This record gives sequence, structure tokens and C-alpha cells, in this order.
Amino acid sequence: MGPQHPMTHGLWTLKIKVDGETVVDTEPELGYIHRGVEKICESRDFTQITTYCDRLCYASANTWSHAYIYAAEDLLGVEVPERAEYIRLIAVELQRIASHLMWLGAYGPDIGNLSALVWCLREREMMMDLLQELGGSRMHYNFPRIGGVKRDLPTGFALRARHKVKLFLNRMQEYEALFDESTIFLIRSQGVGYTKAAEMINAGVSGPNIRAAGVNYDIRSAHPYSVYSELDWEPAVERSSIKGADCYDRYRIRMEEMRNSANLVLQALDKIPGGAETYHEPGDPKILAKAPSRAPEGTSGSHHFEDSRGESMFYIVGGGEGRGKKPYRVSIRSPMFITIPYAAKTMIGYKVADIPAIMGSFDPCIGETDR
Amino acid sequence: MRVVSEKTQSAAAEKMAKSLSKMDGVEASVNERVNGTQTRYIVTVDVDVENWRATAESLRNDHEVDYCSMITGIHWPESTEKTWEIVYHFLRTGVTDPAIEEGVVVPNIVDFSKVKGMNVPLELQISIILGDTRTPSVASVQDIWAGADWNEKETWDLVGIVFDGHEGMRRVLNPHESPAGFHPLQKQHKLRYHDHEEMYDDAQGFMRKPSDVGKVK
Amino acid sequence: MSEEEQNYSMFSSRILVDTIGDVSDDALKASKMKEVIGVLAGRFFNWGQRKSLFPLHLGIKCCALEMAAAGASRFDAERFGVFFRSSPRQCDVLLVNGPISKKFADPITRLWEQMPEPKWCIAMGECAISGGPYFQSYNILEGVDTIIPVDIYIPGCPPRPEALIDGFGKLREKIIRIGAMPSHARIDGNLPVIIGDE
Repeated sequence: MGPQHPMTHGLWTLKIKVDGETVVDTEPELGYIHRGVEKICESRDFTQITTYCDRLCYASANTWSHAYIYAAEDLLGVEVPERAEYIRLIAVELQRIASHLMWLGAYGPDIGNLSALVWCLREREMMMDLLQELGGSRMHYNFPRIGGVKRDLPTGFALRARHKVKLFLNRMQEYEALFDESTIFLIRSQGVGYTKAAEMINAGVSGPNIRAAGVNYDIRSAHPYSVYSELDWEPAVERSSIKGADCYDRYRIRMEEMRNSANLVLQALDKIPGGAETYHEPGDPKILAKAPSRAPEGTSGSHHFEDSRGESMFYIVGGGEGRGKKPYRVSIRSPMFITIPYAAKTMIGYKVADIPAIMGSFDPCIGETDR
Repeated sequence: MRVVSEKTQSAAAEKMAKSLSKMDGVEASVNERVNGTQTRYIVTVDVDVENWRATAESLRNDHEVDYCSMITGIHWPESTEKTWEIVYHFLRTGVTDPAIEEGVVVPNIVDFSKVKGMNVPLELQISIILGDTRTPSVASVQDIWAGADWNEKETWDLVGIVFDGHEGMRRVLNPHESPAGFHPLQKQHKLRYHDHEEMYDDAQGFMRKPSDVGKVK
Repeated sequence: MSEEEQNYSMFSSRILVDTIGDVSDDALKASKMKEVIGVLAGRFFNWGQRKSLFPLHLGIKCCALEMAAAGASRFDAERFGVFFRSSPRQCDVLLVNGPISKKFADPITRLWEQMPEPKWCIAMGECAISGGPYFQSYNILEGVDTIIPVDIYIPGCPPRPEALIDGFGKLREKIIRIGAMPSHARIDGNLPVIIGDE
């Protein structure tokens, strides 16, 4: 199933060996958009690298730029003001909703439900409007800065965000009606693509894929960062079946995650220090701390981050060109790079018609896979 | 929100570091990283390349480190102490399959504020240093953690580190026709070559093609 | 052939059609109607081509999400006749929306060659125009116009869906100008259009 295929959610090839209609062996072929970001980052300043990280997984840009920023702050030793952490949390969770909506809008057509595409993109436009107010563009916001964020919440943002997020929570019922009451969707996604938790952890899969299997492992609670520990929420877990989590469980976990993220945004807007209506100029110390721009040789920084698709990590080694103005090595861990070969093995034993359902349920995004 | 407390995490990290340091060729310590609202305790381990396989098996069996996050290869041509460095990042997650009671799955909801013993989540950073060699090689851990499989393929493809015992090594990100020995993240390779022939003719990248005169590279 | 078959072959359909064709061709040429019909038919086909552009369902990178948003309900591109098809043999427009790596240069050339004439190419986003932020990378071609002749460039990273729809509008104007010139003959003369240049 070649690089140009409406199912593939990105540009990759899946070579399948079949016996009649049953899949016998699979092999994924990646690297069609390998851009060499890790090598490019060795000749860019720390602030310039943020623009590359947005473009790693383009469906969920904010989560990647924040993952990089946390690792860079670890390397340079910067302490971030609390208001900035709250603003970052709002941006990341809104982006998580938008990413899951994009997944749902692509998964519906995989199964055959074409109206899901336009419905989900309609909601995603709402979230992108909010993110556009925060970040300045529809995608690739380049929003966080080392030490804080680039801009405070605009005037009236809290009012519009609360209204839109509550509207979105109401619309979730429409989605669930569309999918859960559709016999075809249920037949095609239940009983297909079973995965078990311990096997997934050994294979390096994390995130919603593993929470669908009845385990509540979430980087935001196991290795806490940012202000997640101060808000009242629990990671979404889905009770799977005896054989493991099937595609339907992976669909349900993402619906629950969208609700979780929406609640986190509403809580953060209430609890943000200084109130959501105050506005600080860009560069104000309450939203941006001063950060050194050089990382001497011998230092390194890393950070595990809960991305919409799993656990992403940046490992940055300091001491590059310009006496440390540029990093020596930037290493990017992409959850999908590890999940796609695992998902390809999950398909063995099922029919060819089940391939889009299984592959789509793992939410592949090839931008981060190929770096 | 119930999160892991710093005290439990630092105690578990110290315990692991102490028991790892007892093995030969292994030096473990706990690093504190202040990031956001909580302090993280990372177990940083330096392993000699001969003892890596034994250490990896001990990590998996005795310390229940079950998740291989990333494998990074770094090339240090200018440094005096090391030429190649391989950094492994692992996590101990404490994830087990959920229990099944009377035919129904009971989700495994862990209260992170009350974890103890082997269930405390931890981060590990393991660093292996190799001296000056043209073929850096390290034992593969593909059979211990299935997540290390594609990480090792990518590290070989981009950096050139050979993993002994790895089955099915192939190019994953670079095109399959890349010449043998083309590992872009090694420091002698410039960022841009126009094609593979130029890599061998003009390894320093000083000569420009006539059509590129006046352009920014 | 025998005598009888020769007689019957006068009435076989192939020769009949050819004869009628030659006779009517001479008649039309004589009465100057042929030119009129040629012009009208050309205008009709041109109208049909530009009003129903079928791009290929190819999503390379980030601009593909803006392409999807352009096709969704807010910036509906389907009201302009733009309808995405999955098979390259049924498409008119190749919408290149991401950087082309060395590994993908071959497949995309094959996709371009599989598309039947008349066909056009739109380079959407900075990566397709010149390599974008990755222009210095070892694996990315500096623009898709190194391998495929491009008609419209839409700058932006990523361009807004309104810019993409404007790009289709500019392509319609260009089709009025150049008619059905085959794609490999469009290199010089009939310069490609850059959105936002006026």
C-alpha cells in the first residue's frame, strides 16, 4: 500500500504479504519525508529550533514545540514563571483536542463514515481559532519561548475559550451518536487489532494506545512536569477486553481524552495566577523569564513529554558551534516511529479490509516519524 | 491530582543507583533536575562497553526496567576522552496487564501517590563511551526490549554505530540506495551534498557547482 | 478477398465512417464552419477543464492539513468544482504540498507521468517551492520544480486555505490563457504565476 494512498495518514508504504485475504506478514517502509531535522538543528540557535519542532508532527504542533522547550530549559537551567506554565498548559491541551479531532476526522473515512471528516474539521476550526488567537497562525504557532511564552492570553480570550470549549463538549454527544450508533463502525472496529498492555510497554508504545488497554500510565502523572499536579483530573483509562484493547477501545479512549483536555482547559482558565483577564506585555517577567543563550560543553538536557500520540522526548547535548550557542546534538524520540512497526505486526492474522481500521486506530503521524 | 511524590522517587532512585554500582564496570548516580514545579531524579549510569549486555539483563530482570525510550548516538571527533557515545534512555513504568476477574477485565488504576518498591516510575540515562575506532559497536538489546529494535536501526542509519547481534539491520530513514558508509549525523559530513558522488569528491564542501554561484547554501 | 467480400466490405462500418468523415471534413472546410466549430469546441472544453479541476489525494506534509481544511465545510473548495480523487489516472492537478525527499522524488515523478494530459501542477507551501526551512538538508530537493514543471506557486508556511482557493482561481485564469498546451511545452513563455505577486 504505497506512499500515495488515501488511507495512509501520511506518506509511508506498508508492504503486505497475503494468503488469500488474510495478512501473513507486513513490513513498513518509512523515510519518504526524512528531512534531517536532527542534523539541521546542529546549525541553528536554540530559539530557531522551536520553529522546526512545530513541523515535526504537524497535526499536533504545540505539543512538540513545548516538548523541545522543556528539554532546552532543562539544558540551560531556566525557571519558568507559574503564569507561563498555565498558559502553556492551555495551549498544549487545546492542541491535544485539535489533534484528536484530526485523527477522528481521518479515522471515520477509513471505516467508511465520510461525514465524520467534515464534522470533525468543523470543530477543529473552532479550536484552531482559539489557537490562532494565542499563537498567531493556524498551524505552526512557534508559541513557547525558552523561559516562558511569547504572548499573554489576549483580551477576551477566556470568554471565547470557555464558550467554545463548552460548545465542543456538547457537540461530543453528536460524535458519539454518529459513531456508536452506526452498526458498520461497530462491526469494523470491534474485535479487530487486539493488543495487550505489557507487550506494548516492552515494544515502546505509550500514550492513549496503552491507556486503552486498561492501564492508567500517563507521563503527566508518573513523571510530572508543568502544573498538571495542581489541577484536579485523572488520566482516561478504558476497560479493554480479555484479549486486549481493540480498535474500538482506542477510539473510545481518545474521546475520553478530548473530554479530559477540555476540562483541563476550563480549570486552568479558572486557576491561572493573576486571573485570565489580566494582560501582560510580551517580555514581561511574569510570562517570560530571562534565559541564558549558551550551553557550555558537558551539559545535557532531556525531558519526557506526553504528546497526543505517546511519550515524546528530546535529548539535547550542549557545546556546539559558537561556543555553545548552538546545540551539539539534538535527539528526538518520536512515539510513532516505534508504534508503527508494532502496529504493523498487530495486523497479522486479520483480513486485508481490516488494515485501514487497525492502522488508523493507532493514529499514525508520519511527520514525527521521519523527522 | 495524585502524582508521584519527590521523596519516594528520590529514595527509589538512590536504591537503584546503589545496587547498580555494585556491578562491574558500572557507575551509577542520581541527578537532580529542577524543571517546572517538581524536581526530577534521574538515575545516570556510565557503563563500560564490555559489561553492557550483563547490565542490560540485570536492569530488565532485577530492576524491572521495562520501557526503552530512545537510543542516541553521538560522534565526538574533537574530544580527547571519547569519540563515540551511545546514550540510552529508559523508563521504569510499573505497567502490568490488568487483572481479569470472573471474565471481566479490571482496569489497573495505579494511585501514583502511593506507589512503592518496584512500582515507582523512574527515568534512567545510560551512557556508553567508545574510544577512537572506525567501527564503533555495542551489544544489541533487541531481544530484551522490543522497543529497542527500530531505535537501533535508526542509530545505525544516521550515526553509524553497529549493534552486534541485531537481526534485520537496514536503512530506515535514508533511502535504501545510500552508499555504505553514509551516516549523515557524523561530524565530517556536511549538511548538504548535492548527490552522493559529491560526498566523495568534495568531502569538505568547499567547491561550489557553477550553477550555485551567488546562492546561499 | 473474394469478389463478394469485396462488395460487402464497401459497406463495412470502418470504411463507411472514414468516408463520411472525409466528406464532411471537406464540406466543413469549404464552408468555413470547421474553424467556428473548432473555436467553439475549444472554448467549451477549456470551460470544462477549468471549472472542474480534480486534484490528486496526495498529502505529503503540513500543507496537506490545510488542503484538507480547504475541502472541509468552512472553506468549501468543492463549490468551485475542486474534487479530490485517489487515482492519478483520473486527476488533472497535482497539488504538491510538502518537501520532496530523495526517496520520494521517484514516486512523485511516476505519479506525474501517470496523470493524463492536460495536467497542471501547483506547488503549495514553502517546502515545495524551494525546499522551505529544510533547504539545507541532505535529503530534500530544493523545490519540486527541479523535477516537475510547476504552473502556480502558493507561498506560505502553511498557506491559509483561502490562499489555496485563490491559487485554484489563478490556475483557472491561466488555463484560459494557455488552453491545452501540453505540460512539457510550458517551460518558457507562459510563466508560472506566484500568488501575491500583483
